[in-house]
Amino acid sequence: MMPNPYVPLKQMATTFQSLSEEEWNDFSSIWTECSARRKEQLTVAGEREKYLYFVIEGIQRVYYFDDKDREATMVFTYAPSFGGVLDSLLMQQPSKYSYETLTPSKFLRASSQDLHALMERYVAIEKLVRKGVTTSLSGVMDRLVELQCYSAEERFRKLLQRSPHILQLIPHKYLANYIGIDATNFSKLINSVRI
Amino acid sequence: MTNQPVAQLLQTLEDQVEAHITDAVKIFQNLSAEQLLKPATDGGWSIAQCLWHLNSYGDYYLPKIKSGLDETHPANANFKSTWLGNYFISIMRPGEKMKKYKAFKNHIPPVQMDAHTVVAEFIQQQEQLLNYLKQARQNDMNLIRIPISILSWMKLKLGDVFQFIIAHDERHLLQAKRNLATK
Repeated sequence: MMPNPYVPLKQMATTFQSLSEEEWNDFSSIWTECSARRKEQLTVAGEREKYLYFVIEGIQRVYYFDDKDREATMVFTYAPSFGGVLDSLLMQQPSKYSYETLTPSKFLRASSQDLHALMERYVAIEKLVRKGVTTSLSGVMDRLVELQCYSAEERFRKLLQRSPHILQLIPHKYLANYIGIDATNFSKLINSVRI
Repeated sequence: MTNQPVAQLLQTLEDQVEAHITDAVKIFQNLSAEQLLKPATDGGWSIAQCLWHLNSYGDYYLPKIKSGLDETHPANANFKSTWLGNYFISIMRPGEKMKKYKAFKNHIPPVQMDAHTVVAEFIQQQEQLLNYLKQARQNDMNLIRIPISILSWMKLKLGDVFQFIIAHDERHLLQAKRNLATK
């Protein structure tokens, strides 16, 4: 039997904010299960983010891609964490970024309308979302420092520290793109760091 | 040849491609260049050579599949192999009495190469293939025809080309993985 996906959702939610029984009941009722194959575009740049995701299985990324073929992998998401293009979701504006699966994935997801309605109704849920977003803002700021100050090797070590198994889980080109180096340099880096 | 439900056929093919990507991501991309380039104990191809060989087919077929899918036909829930298509698929499919074939020119790999670039290219092509399998759901794999690589005047239905390529991938990935057992 599949483990109940609402258990990790509750755990994650309550690390941000404790919820009364009523608040949790209403909050948990807005989520539905969904799954996607590898390389499915869940949110496409130009569209508004329709969902907040909670990852049960698999790895996804939020990325930027433009008409000059420039690509930036900004965030990886994996269980147990929230996913989706958060700025578009909360500002209710078209997304500049896309969200795609990098491996077959399972999620819970809540629609933007349902989430916004609950944030209006309950202060605790608004706080929960605020704390979640603040945590991810903090992660983004850490990464800005890494990208501007660290050497490629330090960025690589940092990535492995945060996600030790990631080398076996997704194609290396996405990892290379995330730490901002060329894919060919990435394989050299692996060899040098391993020794 | 009998009609096959397209949903089921594509699901099976997607599962196979998924397994091929998983092998490349879990195993091949994490090997050293030395391990990737080591010839088989019987003198056969190294892992990198197997993947290079598959990429050379992808280089030929993927752009052709892409332009095939640019033709729009109403989705057809069934696919019917041709006799010829079925023949090519069956001789490629790995099995107990697997016959060895000699690689055609243009598909014979060099001994030395940038092995990690070859692995990355293989993964890239497999992701592309998954994308085309998905697009094929909204199209008719009976009506799109693709010239085959070794005889360009001969055309196969897209549904047969998909099955052929994926059986061919399976065959050479098994060959590549045999190199892992002997360290």
